[in-house]
Amino acid sequence: MTDTWPYLDVHQSRTHEPTPYEHKLAATLEEVFTEEGHELADVVRGLTSRQVHAADGTPWTEESFRAEMNRLGA
Amino acid sequence: MTLSTSATADHIYATGLRNQWHAVVPSHFVAPGAMRKVTVLGEQWLLFRRSDGTLSMLADRCPHRGAPLSLGKHLGDRVACWYHGVEVETDGTVSSVPGLPGCSLEGKKLVTSLPVREVAGAILAYFGDEEHPEPAALTLPEPLTDPEVSAFLCYAEWNVPWRYAVENLLDPMHGAFLHHESHTMSDGDTTAKFRIRETARGYFFEKTDQRGVNFDWVELCRTGVDWVDLSIPYPPSAGPGGPFGIVGMACPVDEQRTGVFFWRYRRVEDWQRASWRFLYRTLIEKRHWDVLEQDRVMLESMPVDADQQENLYQHDLGVVRLRRLYRAAAEAQSSAGA
Repeated sequence: MTDTWPYLDVHQSRTHEPTPYEHKLAATLEEVFTEEGHELADVVRGLTSRQVHAADGTPWTEESFRAEMNRLGA
Repeated sequence: MTLSTSATADHIYATGLRNQWHAVVPSHFVAPGAMRKVTVLGEQWLLFRRSDGTLSMLADRCPHRGAPLSLGKHLGDRVACWYHGVEVETDGTVSSVPGLPGCSLEGKKLVTSLPVREVAGAILAYFGDEEHPEPAALTLPEPLTDPEVSAFLCYAEWNVPWRYAVENLLDPMHGAFLHHESHTMSDGDTTAKFRIRETARGYFFEKTDQRGVNFDWVELCRTGVDWVDLSIPYPPSAGPGGPFGIVGMACPVDEQRTGVFFWRYRRVEDWQRASWRFLYRTLIEKRHWDVLEQDRVMLESMPVDADQQENLYQHDLGVVRLRRLYRAAAEAQSSAGA
């Protein structure tokens, strides 16, 4: 934060610079939403078929995806 | 008092309407135990936060000789002027004159202290003139209080008169042109007919022949604070949850500067809410910012006499209505003390 005018800050909602993992997950998520659909099952299927896995390398389940979103999007 | 009832209508029109609430700066601009100098309505103010988070807003003027209190020292629950050490409490009362104990200034409330509220990450303050010191009733924008709505505040400072920033919002048609190369406003007709629809709190300015495709409608709301509500569709990449909305407010800083507040909001819950918030932080916020920069570049490039030499057409009805409303309010406020 600065006292000088004008305040022009692109990123005001972030708590940290996204990690490579977060970047990849977000970009793939946008692709999946566009190409597969908006249901939770669509998302899990789309991420799995693109081999974009959870941070620990395991394939997503609906539960693990929901938990990870709640962590990243809190 | 700082805001006088003898200001001319031109001055009020240029520097912002009184006797209502305005957003000032984001809450995080004033950390616990910190002070911050701000200019609002062309006047100097001091935001003062105690270590427990309690916020106050004082005229930035020592009642002794007029030195800025913002240059002084934060004493926890009061501020000491740097010039002669005069201490002022957060309600504007002089608590101590160290150079002359027992001085008649002590115990007197000599500094204007404005009512403040903190709402969705922003500081709101009530700017009453001498005849209207009691805060006007304030109804907050529903999208900022509805628990089913998720919102992010975006704040920016523009070198434009405050009215230009608000007029831009009452002009939905610019979306199809200025923002054509954006992630959300490339669709829809580039011709439209508009109508004004009055509401109990302001008015809608909306296209009669297109909805849900581009920036197709806006509502001006005057609920103790002036704000606009509008909705813009998201592409499928933004996931489930439908369009995003914007609650917009403009802080009149002075004749040539404005602080703009845009809460981007979406009615989403559960994992859909979390995914949008994740995508917003990671990818979408930057795209929204790029759109906002198009507005800033255009508005800051407008000549100072832009609104004096115009040839308006049907799409400008929303702007004309806005100017008439604000001009009438400025006239009424300027004569209030006469």
